[in-house]
Amino acid sequence: MSPASSAEPQAAPHAGQDAGPQAGARPGPHGDGGPQGPPSPAVHAVELRKHYRRTVALAGLSMTVGRGEVFGFLGPNGAGKTTAVKLLLGLSRPTSGEAMVLGAPAGDRETRRQIGYLPELFRFQSWLTAREVLTLHGRLLGLARSRQAAAAADALDTVGLAGRGDDKVGTFSKGMQQRLGLGVALLGEPALVILDEPTSALDPVGRHQVRAVIRGLRDRGATVFLNTHLLEEAEHVCDRVTVINKGRCLATGTLSELRGRQSSVRLRVTGLSDRWWQTLTAGGRWSAEGDWVRGQDLPPGQIPDLVAAVVARGGRVEAVVPEQASLEASFLKLLGES
Amino acid sequence: MSALTTIAALTMREALRRRLIAALAVICLALVGLSSWGFYRLSHGSSMTSGEVNGALPTAFILFMFMFSFIAALSASAIASPSVSTEIESGVLQAVVTRPVRRRDVILGKWLGLAVILAVYTVVVVGLQVAVVRAVSGFMPPQPVTAAAYLFGEGAVLLTLVLLLSTRLSALAAGVAGVALFGIAWLAGVVGGLGEAFNIPALHTASQVSQYIVPTDGLWHGAIFYLEPASYLSLQLSEAGDRGSPFFAAAAPSWGYLAWAGVWFVLVLALSVASFERREL
Repeated sequence: MSPASSAEPQAAPHAGQDAGPQAGARPGPHGDGGPQGPPSPAVHAVELRKHYRRTVALAGLSMTVGRGEVFGFLGPNGAGKTTAVKLLLGLSRPTSGEAMVLGAPAGDRETRRQIGYLPELFRFQSWLTAREVLTLHGRLLGLARSRQAAAAADALDTVGLAGRGDDKVGTFSKGMQQRLGLGVALLGEPALVILDEPTSALDPVGRHQVRAVIRGLRDRGATVFLNTHLLEEAEHVCDRVTVINKGRCLATGTLSELRGRQSSVRLRVTGLSDRWWQTLTAGGRWSAEGDWVRGQDLPPGQIPDLVAAVVARGGRVEAVVPEQASLEASFLKLLGES
Repeated sequence: MSALTTIAALTMREALRRRLIAALAVICLALVGLSSWGFYRLSHGSSMTSGEVNGALPTAFILFMFMFSFIAALSASAIASPSVSTEIESGVLQAVVTRPVRRRDVILGKWLGLAVILAVYTVVVVGLQVAVVRAVSGFMPPQPVTAAAYLFGEGAVLLTLVLLLSTRLSALAAGVAGVALFGIAWLAGVVGGLGEAFNIPALHTASQVSQYIVPTDGLWHGAIFYLEPASYLSLQLSEAGDRGSPFFAAAAPSWGYLAWAGVWFVLVLALSVASFERREL
């Protein structure tokens, strides 16, 4: 079997080895780009495509996730999020395109030592205790035997399972199994943590705890790749997001960029004639809503000028309610456009 | 501890925790107990002559061994069939192979764990059966250790084959296919013997081919041969010859056949590894 056809990608070429014509263009394995170069991105994907017979799961996904970022990977169900995660982890092979993770080809075995992964289907051996699952993964991760017990205890504590460590996983609720999965992903202080729908089975308290864990990861410099369809989740923790649909990237940016620069405002004004807004030069779209008037798609920073213009025309501004497009509205708009 | 031995230990622990070994132990103890009663009745108080008893004891012993080998083969198929496919379907394996482990270590670790369970089963069952039968009837097969090795080989063939199937098929399909192939190979052995007895070369050739494709029956005949005392062997040959009985072997498998069995294991394990490495999870 040729290495290229394996679902388990081969290790990146090491220094001094022939890495082919692109060797000079690539950052070193697991690396930080060497002593001169900047750190390699945590994730760098170029035109990733994945076809399952006639079904196109990914249609040319390109993205870059910097080190230390909490990156939201957003999209509706079936958008191709989990497919992309599987390609990044080497669980599947791309039909075409290339992905580098922590400076090495996606799926590189040694690099996996620095990656924590919570799968969407978080199932563990039901006949093991939670502590045994964590110890098993510590062993597979190559943690020193003397560190395995302490690492398992720390992980149990972090995910709120300290009192249930010796219970069989088979007795756990779905939410507890998800917490355990998160604990498994945190073992060994990974540089990159990939969380695939990490709060899908959790109650509000659990979600709050997961957010705290994600912030803790960011504080220690780890990169978090958060795969979710829950926008609220992304709003709480993500520095930057990519929205994908039908296997294609629709938009990438910070949350405020994604919401859009244009804003809306609701005004209650007295002392002016009907349809007073038609005399303004602020732009945007205006409509009356009872005692209120709504201006939409206004250029950034227009609201103070708008209030000043109303006052200059002799109007009394009773109330001003600035409105920013919600992430949900922006998300739906993007999906609608796609 | 390497990833391979970690997976092997995990596989053995699963068999213990899921009470597979306890279930096997209960069944085998019950069968050994039953056989001890049968052998006692056969050697004490039956109306047969001592010569007839001496002929019947090896036959009965081989029949019981066939039963144990059948249980071993079914158990091997049952425990190997879900070992990969079910863990892929449930997502358990995805969490394992995203660790810095080679996929080949996962497959070989599982095979090693299952093979150790099979080896322990074979040693315990053959040891108990030999000890009990000797105690109640005085009968002692000539080479029980060699026979046990062949019985282990027979079970390991099925285990290895089902593990390969499990990398691509569902647990149910892999298990059913494994047992069906075991049955077909056994029947092919019977048919081949009949072909030889009645001088039908095509049947004999078909049997030979099947023994190379799935060497369970060939190894089972090796086990039989080493359970047969010399007096029993010469008596059977002088009375009936080798007429295709699935419970009689006129000769030990050749070194060439044993070498092929070794190659077969390597080939099928390599196929299992390649199949799992290429599988998208």
